[in-house]
Amino acid sequence: MEESDHTICRAVLAGDKDAFGALVVRHSQTVFRVAYRITGNDEDADEVVQETFLRGYQKLQSFEGRSSFTTWIYRIASNCALDLVGRRKSNAEDRIAEDHDPEQGGVQVADRKAGPDRLLLSREIDATQESAMRSLTAIERTAFVLRHMEDRSTEEIAAALNMAPNAAKQAVFRAVRKLRRQLAPLWANG
Amino acid sequence: MANTKHLSEEELIEHYYGEDATAASAERHLKVCAKCAKDYSDLRRDLGGVKSPAPVARSQGYGEEVWESIRGSLQVYEGRRRSWLPPRLWRPLVWVTACALLVAGAFVAGRVWQRRQSPTATLASDSQARQRVVIWVLGDHLDRSERLLVELNHADGKDAAAALPIQSEARELLAANRLVRQSATESGDPALDAALDRLERLLVEVANQPNGLSEADLNRLRQEMNTDGLLFDVRVLRSRVMEQQPVAATELKGASI
Repeated sequence: MEESDHTICRAVLAGDKDAFGALVVRHSQTVFRVAYRITGNDEDADEVVQETFLRGYQKLQSFEGRSSFTTWIYRIASNCALDLVGRRKSNAEDRIAEDHDPEQGGVQVADRKAGPDRLLLSREIDATQESAMRSLTAIERTAFVLRHMEDRSTEEIAAALNMAPNAAKQAVFRAVRKLRRQLAPLWANG
Repeated sequence: MANTKHLSEEELIEHYYGEDATAASAERHLKVCAKCAKDYSDLRRDLGGVKSPAPVARSQGYGEEVWESIRGSLQVYEGRRRSWLPPRLWRPLVWVTACALLVAGAFVAGRVWQRRQSPTATLASDSQARQRVVIWVLGDHLDRSERLLVELNHADGKDAAAALPIQSEARELLAANRLVRQSATESGDPALDAALDRLERLLVEVANQPNGLSEADLNRLRQEMNTDGLLFDVRVLRSRVMEQQPVAATELKGASI
């Protein structure tokens, strides 16, 4: 029978370092998924996965077992991804200007019902969405991903980002407003 | 709110995510208010169009790969040893321990009193304080080194001007690295010593490129010096040092240096 996460944590704290490997194997795909959604690329997501489990191991004594290990490691992963996005942000800002121009996107989606253009439309939407996501601050992006894509509650987002629930809620609001503003040209020409 | 006042964008967003406290009331309002119904419909269209990016699937062995990559950096927890004492003997042992603590407390109080009487006794605590400062300096140094490595990994060699601050930072770090490394060697920490040695070699290379850092230089440094691996090592060391810092900060208060 498969050992529970809590049992493994106790074994690790009792000196069985290798037991932690089972937790890494069990949760790495989930951590990768959330890391990818926040960072937006696999290299950064891989880095976040490594750092998450590294931090998780070092902080394991603070895991009191009141929440599930999944929730706890998820929180660390969100934090690691947030840190990384924050670090990357300054580099990315220079590139955003060169990216997709929403005004041009609007022109290209005019004939959206035409069959072959559906693919083009889809690409335009993806590009605009990607650009819009990159325009968010690290906290807005993380809050939005956790809310919209990971279906996490405000309380869970607040816990993951170490902030008050109201601040987490405001981060989601700001993210939604910014995204809508950037995506608006697509619909205006549709 | 139901029928008299329009729903704000924030209320509509909360309703969309099912987090509004008055969902039924909002629903009723949306049925009778054309403006809010239109706003909500637009919001649903916008948010419905935001897709979750599908990550490139990781292999079945991904978890094992991650584990192997971090395993060597983890230190074994000392563990909570199984008790060798029968439960009935615990209570007397607690009493004995309490008495021992009292005696120890009296001893420590005596020592503190004696130290206050004699200024020369502060030498030992000065040495401890210096050690705590070393931890702080090391933490700061590793933090700066990590930032430099990240910048180096993402630097664009086509822009020569962008590489100048990296070289300048590398020169500053090089001097600091030699001092920190000397401390690490004295403290007998081989992992730290090895990482600082690799870092020093990289810093020498970066700092001494006479014509700036071209794209070819950057690629060569990334490959030859394995900057990714070094970055990982520095992160591991930094997180280790960060764990010691809160303790050092508490102890540093009031310490005489």
